[in-house]
Amino acid sequence: MNSGIIGFWLRIASLFLLRSRRTTVVLSLMVLLSVSILIFLSSLAVGINDAMVRNSVSLYSGHVAGFNLAADLTPERLRIDGVDAVVKRIENRGLLQHDDRFEPVTLIASNPADEIANTALWRKISAGKYPQNGKAEILLSEYLSERLGLGIGEQLQFRRDPVSSPVTFRITGVYRTGIDKLDRGLAFCPPAILPDDNARWSAAIFLRDGIEVENIVRRYRERFSTAAQFKSWHELMPDLRQLIDLNYVSMSIVTFIVFGLVAVGVSSAFVIFILKNLREYGIVKSMGVTPFEIGLLIALEVGLMNVIACIGGVALGIIASQVMSSIGIDLTAFTSHNRYFAVSGVVIPRLTPYSLWVPPAVALGFGLVASIWPTMLVVRGRTADILRGI
Amino acid sequence: MIRVQEIGKAYRSGRRQVEALDEVSCTVQQGETLAVVGKSGSGKTTLLNCIGGLERPDSGRIACLGENIHELSRRALSMFQREHLGFVFQFGNLLSYLTVHENIEFPLALNRVPRRERDLRVSALLERIGLGNSARALPGELSGGEVQRISFARAIAHRPQILLADEPTASLDSQTAHDLVQLMLDVVRDQAASLIVTTHDPVVIELTDSIMHLRDGKVVEESRTTVL
Repeated sequence: MNSGIIGFWLRIASLFLLRSRRTTVVLSLMVLLSVSILIFLSSLAVGINDAMVRNSVSLYSGHVAGFNLAADLTPERLRIDGVDAVVKRIENRGLLQHDDRFEPVTLIASNPADEIANTALWRKISAGKYPQNGKAEILLSEYLSERLGLGIGEQLQFRRDPVSSPVTFRITGVYRTGIDKLDRGLAFCPPAILPDDNARWSAAIFLRDGIEVENIVRRYRERFSTAAQFKSWHELMPDLRQLIDLNYVSMSIVTFIVFGLVAVGVSSAFVIFILKNLREYGIVKSMGVTPFEIGLLIALEVGLMNVIACIGGVALGIIASQVMSSIGIDLTAFTSHNRYFAVSGVVIPRLTPYSLWVPPAVALGFGLVASIWPTMLVVRGRTADILRGI
Repeated sequence: MIRVQEIGKAYRSGRRQVEALDEVSCTVQQGETLAVVGKSGSGKTTLLNCIGGLERPDSGRIACLGENIHELSRRALSMFQREHLGFVFQFGNLLSYLTVHENIEFPLALNRVPRRERDLRVSALLERIGLGNSARALPGELSGGEVQRISFARAIAHRPQILLADEPTASLDSQTAHDLVQLMLDVVRDQAASLIVTTHDPVVIELTDSIMHLRDGKVVEESRTTVL
């Protein structure tokens, strides 16, 4: 079959669609809206997962956490391609003391400016403010402040063990995240207040959008000594990982059901569309159009309409997702007690290649599959019977 | 030449078996015309459909231009139809989404006639049927008589050797019917084609070479005169 003949059938199919205006417009709109809605829903689901990850990693740990890093390893060396920021932290395990009360704590010494710029813990401060650099100030959780019976502006001591000399801190702020791990045993102070601050350190590493976290971890493990440990948020927060996997499974099931319903709708519409025009196919058959050419004509009509409608649907889906991602969808009312939305309930829909190609592929595929039965009806049926059905 | 030999065709209508054609035979030479007459339900259209390959007879044999068309594969039958057959249907059966020009051009394009020649032939045909100004009209914008003339132009555009017309004048006034039949006969003689036309119309019957009368699927009379 040469290109001239395909061109001829393409022209006939185009004329058919163009001049069956109302049917074409209604059917195209149905496909267009289905595709755009599916693309938007898909981007919304990805956005919800992103929001949970963003909330969880931005609060404290980063996308990758480095542990047991040598003193001579600088944060700059960890800033490899794909890394947005590295926050250096020195973990000091010991006891907080006030009068006769003691509470075990991991006191994190880190630069307040780095913490405020890259993490969101400061947004969870319920009273007071973040400690200032160079001052013996401390930020601790509401839980610890209640256990020690202290408030903002009061002083406490930190000691590494009961016999070591204490360092006195003034409380400048208390926070509450709603996450036990952060709310019970952590406190924050500026660097260089405690002795031995040049010991091994840990890092909260933040990645740029769209960077695969496991790739970064693999590259760190290849590049740095075995003493240094790097863990992705997948390893640090297996519960979140599971929740996201669960979300993907449930999203896939919902998507499958929605796609299935859309596909049945599209298929039925195309079957009706072809059967409605059975007479026209009977006429061309009586003029000596071969079974292959009839199949080609129907496939071109269905394909052409689907392609045009899908292009419109993808464009509309992209526009809807982009508009909503520039505004953000505030779901705070539904997430305020959810620890995976501890920082913000705003969801930013995100398009992925999957969400862009699957809906149009499903529409096109099901449209073409739907055309098989009516095509067989035309090809195998006796022309006289088809024409008699006028 | 068309040679129909003892063809039979039965339909099931509920529990009843209806004999649409019962051992019907006829022969039409090139350049000859045959009118098939009979009441509604006598089997005229079924005979025409069988000869044109639109349906298959239960028994008998139909040879068109030496080909036993019901022994051809689907594709070979389609190729035979597009090259050698022209069909004029009772109600025109134009493709509603193509203009008058595109409808007549369709069989030419199927037979891969070059575009320039297609345009020339279509224009000439439109002039011949008196619809030179309607080339861009869609079938829905035309009268019954115009549709029928275009259906006829489409049937002869690719210069088929066999022309089959199923009551082509049924929806026309007598003058238009006469003009159309005369045009059909002129084309048939010019192209040395064979024409089989089913009709009730005395105008058509008078102008054909021979007549075959069907009743209940059986041939009851054959004649080569213009009077039954």
